[in-house]
Amino acid sequence: MTTSTSVPVTSPVVSTAVAARTRGLRKVYGHTVAVDRVDLELPEGAVLGMLGPNGSGKTTTIRMLLGLVRPTQGEIELLGRPLPDGAEHVLPHVGALVEGPGFHPFMSGRENLLRCAAFEPLLPTGSVKTAVEDALERVGLAAAAHRRYRGYSLGMKQRLGLAAALLVQRKLIVLDEPTNGLDPAGTREVRKVIADLHAAGTTVMVSSHLLSEVEATCTHVCVLHRGTVVAQGELSDLLQAGGSALQVITPEVELALTALRQARISARPLGEGLRVELTGTSAPAVVETLVHAGVPVHEATRWKTGLEELFARLTEAEESEHSLSAVDTLDGGASR
Amino acid sequence: MIVRQMRSELRWMLRRPRTLIGLVGLCLVPIVFGFGTWLATRDGDGGGGGGLEAILKGNGLVLPIFTLFLSAALLLPMVASIWAADGLAGESQHGTLRGLLIAPVSRVRLLGVKFFGLATMSLFAVTLMAVVGVISGIAFLGNDGMLTLSGNVLSGWEAFGRIAFFVVLVTFQMVSIGAVGLAISACTEHPLVVQASIMAGLIVFAVLGSLPSLDWLHPFLITNALPGLVDVMRDPIPTGQIWDSTLLAGCYLIIGLSLATIRLVTKDS
Repeated sequence: MTTSTSVPVTSPVVSTAVAARTRGLRKVYGHTVAVDRVDLELPEGAVLGMLGPNGSGKTTTIRMLLGLVRPTQGEIELLGRPLPDGAEHVLPHVGALVEGPGFHPFMSGRENLLRCAAFEPLLPTGSVKTAVEDALERVGLAAAAHRRYRGYSLGMKQRLGLAAALLVQRKLIVLDEPTNGLDPAGTREVRKVIADLHAAGTTVMVSSHLLSEVEATCTHVCVLHRGTVVAQGELSDLLQAGGSALQVITPEVELALTALRQARISARPLGEGLRVELTGTSAPAVVETLVHAGVPVHEATRWKTGLEELFARLTEAEESEHSLSAVDTLDGGASR
Repeated sequence: MIVRQMRSELRWMLRRPRTLIGLVGLCLVPIVFGFGTWLATRDGDGGGGGGLEAILKGNGLVLPIFTLFLSAALLLPMVASIWAADGLAGESQHGTLRGLLIAPVSRVRLLGVKFFGLATMSLFAVTLMAVVGVISGIAFLGNDGMLTLSGNVLSGWEAFGRIAFFVVLVTFQMVSIGAVGLAISACTEHPLVVQASIMAGLIVFAVLGSLPSLDWLHPFLITNALPGLVDVMRDPIPTGQIWDSTLLAGCYLIIGLSLATIRLVTKDS
């Protein structure tokens, strides 16, 4: 479908092939500003994780991106065309699951999908039935397809919504909280579907408030907070930007702190030892400093900054204004 | 493509339990009327039986027109409002409207498909009622030809022609109210709001229509357009009132669809 390869584009900023792009997006409902100054860039072939707490504007942004909602201000470009005017040309290539699955309760899963398929412009009438069966098979719903949607479990409903997005081979798939209500097995299946799509060169956009989800499936991340993008880029870049730390286990905490302070390395006590920020220094240098000062080092572990910590810091930062103090209070929660 | 969408729309409407129950209910109306009239005329020959029974006896082909005329005041508009309500507000409520718009179906075409569904189902429902009415009329009251209001008797095909013409006229009235329903339906995601508004509107219109001091308003009330349709039962058919009624319904239809289009095109969903 797309010309891009399955390898993620190296830098989202300079890349020319962009599946979706927004500039200065703003949406105001009455007196509430739902989304403001959103500049989003979705490189072709990437899996973009849209991360944000509830009410951060993820769904509103997605709805504007799909032409469902008219932005108050700003521009949207989807698959090379401006929205909402170009909707008829690009939306057939876009599959989406927005704001949870929406189906008619009195019809079976299959009938619901047949109805969706009837309105898919890219689907020739002759292949409607096979497309529906394929999609049902793909999300593992073939056995329950004859049952009424009314009786579906939350997970089955979610799967059916996913099936509707997969009816046609798409260039871009937008999934709004796709693992909502799924059990671990279902979550793994969704991850596999996303991985398959990515391998086939399809651009995917996933929104989630589950950080592990984004970390496991995405190549790019965009973090939304209070309606604005607070960070975006490649997942690996963002993880590195978060900095890393060293956890040192030692019985002589006071001695170690003094030694590090003299060497101008920031550290503070944590648990059975201390946590050393590796900013402007390296792990061997820290250990060397400690050993020279006569501190018995029992254990030194690289503390990688998980996306969870990054996410927490980014979203909490605005509330406390001082990002450093936010880091301090949140360290206990980071378990990586 | 659009044919496939229309077919899908009709299948969707016909699959709804409430549509089927509604259609069965509509079919019962002429049967109950026929049975009731039969009971009234059976032994009413003696003491100067009521005018209605006397007219209906042996005049079974009048029954479909009689039932459609009575149903056109409230029953049929209610059914049309249910379909209009489910069409946009109901889809919006279930989150399926989003799916259709993302597919994408252009908003104007979506309204077109919805209106097609409403119009086709209305024609189907009214025709069904007429067919059941003919059968019930012949079964309960017999058929000695159709006695017109002008006093002469129409026979065979001419009588069926009149019934078919009346079916078209009543369907048009029903669809025009349904179009207004679609306009309301485009503004809300609560189907009940649509049905309640249409019902309330019809009742208010009926009250306004009965106030002589407001007679300047009467030509604009859709509820006052109905009585004129009875002219179908005169021979030859005087076209004046029928034309006025249909023209008024046409105005409601155009206004309803225009408002629905304006709302749907700019709607955030």
